[in-house]
Amino acid sequence: MKKTIPLMIVIIGGIFWFGWALSTHKFFQDDFYYSFYMPWARAMAPFAMLLGVVSLSMMHTNKIKRRAPKWQYSYFFFAGFVVTTLAGFIGGTQKGGVYMWMFENMQMPMSATMFALLAFYMASAAYKAFRARSPEATVLLLAAILVMLAQVPLGVQISKHLPTISQWILDVPNLASKRGIMLGVGLGSVATTLKIMLGIERSYLGGGD
Amino acid sequence: MNFFERIQKLDRRWIYIVVALAIVIPLMIPYNSDNVTTPPTENLYQMIDSFSGREDRALLLSFAHDASTMPELFPMEVAILRHCFERNIKVFMLTWLPQGGPIIDYAINTVKEEYPDIKSGVDYCNFGYIPAALAMPTIIGMGDNISTTVKTDAEGRKVENLPIMKALNNYSELNLVVEFSGSVAGMSWLFYARPKFGLNVSVGVTAVMAADQYPYLQSGQFIGMLAGLKGAAEYEKLVDVFAAYREPGSPIRPTFDEEGVKIIPGRSFSSDILADDAAKKLINITTQSIAIFSPAEFQLFIDKYPDKTALFNQIKTEQDGKILIDVRTVTEQQKEELGYLAWGDLNRMTRNILYKFKVARIGMNAQSVAHIMIILFIILGNIGYFIQKARTAKK
Repeated sequence: MKKTIPLMIVIIGGIFWFGWALSTHKFFQDDFYYSFYMPWARAMAPFAMLLGVVSLSMMHTNKIKRRAPKWQYSYFFFAGFVVTTLAGFIGGTQKGGVYMWMFENMQMPMSATMFALLAFYMASAAYKAFRARSPEATVLLLAAILVMLAQVPLGVQISKHLPTISQWILDVPNLASKRGIMLGVGLGSVATTLKIMLGIERSYLGGGD
Repeated sequence: MNFFERIQKLDRRWIYIVVALAIVIPLMIPYNSDNVTTPPTENLYQMIDSFSGREDRALLLSFAHDASTMPELFPMEVAILRHCFERNIKVFMLTWLPQGGPIIDYAINTVKEEYPDIKSGVDYCNFGYIPAALAMPTIIGMGDNISTTVKTDAEGRKVENLPIMKALNNYSELNLVVEFSGSVAGMSWLFYARPKFGLNVSVGVTAVMAADQYPYLQSGQFIGMLAGLKGAAEYEKLVDVFAAYREPGSPIRPTFDEEGVKIIPGRSFSSDILADDAAKKLINITTQSIAIFSPAEFQLFIDKYPDKTALFNQIKTEQDGKILIDVRTVTEQQKEELGYLAWGDLNRMTRNILYKFKVARIGMNAQSVAHIMIILFIILGNIGYFIQKARTAKK
């Protein structure tokens, strides 16, 4: 029963969505989608948020209780969570309030710093790993250099043809491989969806039989 | 250990120092550089520009990112909002992420400071945060009716009562969405809104994600794309050359002709103007303080302020048949005498772009140097690798 009911929900839900995507019948488009699904989706969204907050809080509470590695940082989570929530609820989220001040002066610089560090890792990795060890690696290396140069004003000053060459690399060889991968992923998705709908694929139930 | 062996084993901290300097120095000392505009950016610009001054057209900006990708995506958002406010284009905004809410507010506040006439609910409308779980019903629902799908805006006002909604019902009018994202951008719009309602979809993505979006761009499913900081820099340039362009003497605000038709400031997109050398003075990112006029242009300009002719003549200088006014030489008292409008108009003629409207282009200078440094490192590493390999083979 524990497996049958979830399986039935998935199969019936799948069939309904299949019908909604392929049929213009009033039952699927109006009765199912607008009258049934839309109000339920709106009602469920806040619960999904609540579930996330509860789950995150439980995880950090357990971490503190168990004195797990780096458990002290969990206090920062609770401090940040409580202060941000109060700032938003009490002072609003508009400019001039504490919430916006925290966003502009804490969240933005910290997040940007984390993302910017990527440039340093990429430069270091490019230097250490980008070697013309084989013909394929040489082609990749040349393509990367051309595209990198064409992206910046200095590169265009070196040769006015660089943007055209770079665009060709992006439009032709890049897209040929990209489309191959995407077609493969698409067919894989369809196959997995069918397997889930037919009850063949059950790993989402937690594994095992 | 010889030189090439040494550089093969170069400590990564040296690379970090060089990359840091390559980024910091061009940011501190900006120089004028030109970003060649590409078709994906131009197409998006032209599509948005075609909505100029129309009550029955609007675009929707979807802020599907958090603060981490702001260095690349925020300049795009600012440039597009500036374009919309300059050319009197109605714009809507929403986000699927809680972190996107403050980014929308920050973007509006950044641009709106320069456009005091722009009003919330009239010229733009912020739907604010809509949970991602409601993305599909919202995207599909807006295809039928916007105000019944998104009932209130971020300020809690009924959307159907807002003046901006007067001529807007669904995707027939709200005819373009631009989604900004650091990951998979625009897919929900592409899967649900484009096939069913024919909505035009476009994206602004970080540079590393741009290659992923090319298949949709080439197939025409995306009508345009802003790729990374370069895309933002290109858009900034287009806004300066076309949307924010003012002929000397032309009014700052929209005017009406004899038949009551609104005349929108700026000018329409043209590849010829873009290729012309005259456009270069509009895209300089270093500080400019001198307004340069031909005698005819100067006359046209001062005719707008007949009571201030003497003052303009007092502050002007002549050089090579051109009339120059260096705004740095204008005293505080003269500024007061000129008044807000005349001073603002004159300042605008210097083509001095505010810092916030050239962030991406300044960033592209740093990116230029960083790219060159990385390429040099790669070349150096490869030279060392081959020399070492040759020596090993010889031994």
